Amino acid sequence: MSEFDQDTSPEALRIAVLSWLDTYWDSDNRHPLNEPAYDRRRWRQQVLEAGLAVPSWPPEWFGLGMTAAQCKVIEKAFAERNAPGTGLDRYHLGAITVFKAGSDALKREMLPELLTGPICCLLYSEPNAGSDLAGIRTRAEQEGDKYVINGQKVWTSNAHEADYGMLLARTDWDAPKHRGITFFLFPMRQAGVEIRPINQITGESEFNEIFIENALVPERFMIGNLNEGWGSFQTAIAYERLIMGQGITGRRRVSATRGRPPLLELAEKNDRLNDPVVRQRLAQALAYREVNSLNNERAMTQMMTQGSMSLMSLSKLAMSRIQHGEAAIATDLLGPKALLDGPDNSDAANTNFDAAKAYMNSIGGGTDQIQRNIIAEKVLGLPKEHEPDKGIAFREVKSGTGSGTTG
Amino acid sequence: MNTIQESERTAIREALVRFLRAEAGEDKLRLGMKSERGYDHRLWQQMADMGLLGIALSETYGGIGGSTLDAAMVAEELGRSLLPVPFIETCVIVPSLLESSDVAEKMRAVFSSIVQGTATIAIGGSATLAPYRDSTCALRIDDNGAISGEVSLVMHGAHADYLLLVIDSDSQPRCFLVSAGMEYAAEEQTANDPALRPATIRLNCAPGIELTGLNKDDLEHARLQGVATLSALQAGAARAIFEITIDYLKTRYQFGRPIGSFQALKHIAADLFLEVESAASAAHAAANALASADPLAARSVALAGFICNDAFRDVSAQAIQLHGGIAYTQEHVAHLYWRRARATLSMLGDSDTHRETYLSAWETAA
Repeated sequence: MSEFDQDTSPEALRIAVLSWLDTYWDSDNRHPLNEPAYDRRRWRQQVLEAGLAVPSWPPEWFGLGMTAAQCKVIEKAFAERNAPGTGLDRYHLGAITVFKAGSDALKREMLPELLTGPICCLLYSEPNAGSDLAGIRTRAEQEGDKYVINGQKVWTSNAHEADYGMLLARTDWDAPKHRGITFFLFPMRQAGVEIRPINQITGESEFNEIFIENALVPERFMIGNLNEGWGSFQTAIAYERLIMGQGITGRRRVSATRGRPPLLELAEKNDRLNDPVVRQRLAQALAYREVNSLNNERAMTQMMTQGSMSLMSLSKLAMSRIQHGEAAIATDLLGPKALLDGPDNSDAANTNFDAAKAYMNSIGGGTDQIQRNIIAEKVLGLPKEHEPDKGIAFREVKSGTGSGTTG
Repeated sequence: MNTIQESERTAIREALVRFLRAEAGEDKLRLGMKSERGYDHRLWQQMADMGLLGIALSETYGGIGGSTLDAAMVAEELGRSLLPVPFIETCVIVPSLLESSDVAEKMRAVFSSIVQGTATIAIGGSATLAPYRDSTCALRIDDNGAISGEVSLVMHGAHADYLLLVIDSDSQPRCFLVSAGMEYAAEEQTANDPALRPATIRLNCAPGIELTGLNKDDLEHARLQGVATLSALQAGAARAIFEITIDYLKTRYQFGRPIGSFQALKHIAADLFLEVESAASAAHAAANALASADPLAARSVALAGFICNDAFRDVSAQAIQLHGGIAYTQEHVAHLYWRRARATLSMLGDSDTHRETYLSAWETAA
């Protein structure tokens, strides 16, 4: 039985969590107490056993049955003590997907492992299945109690570190495209998995292409039912978009309401703060950022009180406007200096980086245009556009830039 | 202040929504527009009976003692309905100024007539806290405090029982309350919005009571309350015309399909939804900042000032475009929202001014 009571007051919960942390965690040295080295897995295990890794999940599934508000209290207490390991029910996409969509057997077998160590990467997009993600062509064919996987995935981050991949693969080529997809927990460390880094326009290589040739996944690692993977995937992608909208992907995170914003500093440094046109643009840019955080606050409240996700869907779209807009202003503030780059020209380098990185939000996890479709259809209830591939056996569907079909 | 509980606030809102739906639907709104005041004045009386007109006035003077959040809630619903009553002037800005002045005690009769709905109060003048400030108004105050001259753009001025004049002077604006009596002549100006009734007021040695004892903070606080409530009104109006538009996109068929299924329109709708929600968030944050005496309240209000101005303008303008030809007619309601949006743009400071204020507040941030 856990020492953290669901019925306790927020203040009592905070004190209980802090006292738990003070027993086991050295907040000054960011290190478990009485342990020679920081063993990530062992600490995670300890947090998990206390129910604090996934506090919103029910007690029979590693959690404490806490409300969103109570989880926030717990997260704040962890932050106060510089301790990692909580909030996995909000951030660990792999574990969340298994928890929401997996069978009891899979959850019993894999959740304790996923929640204490392994990193999960996402094997969703393919070269010919980007915005039209349900058009995936990676195939999974049953052979005894295993599935054999063949195909190519792209835009996978953390692939080298990952032990598992959340894999979408086609299992029925005669069903319409959404109804022949199965979701698997795919072991990454095996022959037949080749990882090639992608050189991104920012100069970074966070993402990879994954070539999968005759790799195997046990049947019991299927998440949800055969050919019903698209539904489970919707849960996973909603979390990913939510996390992106909170701006977690941005390199510099600055509080939206306190302190002097970097854009203002840049304007001052370049002696442009007295230009009224520049001032108007700066004000509008700062406003978009502040309003987005106000929207997010309302979205959290709305989700907690009414269970509604409608406002949540806006933040990713808003973030694109913020990031592209700020980069455009910064570029103008620098003037001709914006053509420079490199460590000797850090303002220009940062600005150029931000200008390129903004596409990460406006394309990654679903382009702004796809996001607008989602808002219009799922939130505003506007009808879907005509879909030529609807109801047609997937092997007959046209794909990519060519007109040919495969199967 | 802030003595209204969340549950009471919800109850007040629900009652107000029911009332406006029954009494200020489009047909009745259009009838009201053709009447003398631009709205059915019996509704003002009914709002008084519901206790709404004293919502921002302290209990000491017979009000409910609500906060800016409560006034903003009323304004938001009034905005939705487009009912052009002088709520922000009579029930928000005027009580704020009167209450913080030295003459509050002498104003008990005025307060009571506000709460009971027996008087409306217009505001005019050159100071920035005047709704639709008339920067070129020419007013003289003689040694006995009698006021003469002319001021235009006074909303509801021809039908108001009192006129609050806010006049720029050397160090800070001076405020005078004038009774609409013998020395007060009003001539209505033609407004683009058929529901609005601005007027030019000519005063000829009109006796005014000066609101003494007001410091700069008092004046600023009244202005901020005005902007915050106006923002809520705009946020409510923007949402209303947005909902009307989304409904139309679902029911209008062309090319054998609902026009809302076209991505060209869908994407505009999604962007407008962001504007509508951003306006709601900004307006709420501004009212909340004032209600909780947040030291950054002025910045929050400036933010709401331009976010809500621009959102109402853009959403109502796009509403016409998305409707197409039907909204190019007077029969359709869209142009009424659009006209009101354009009318409110400069009511308490234009967007550029609010943006400048907002940025200045950031510059001084620690």
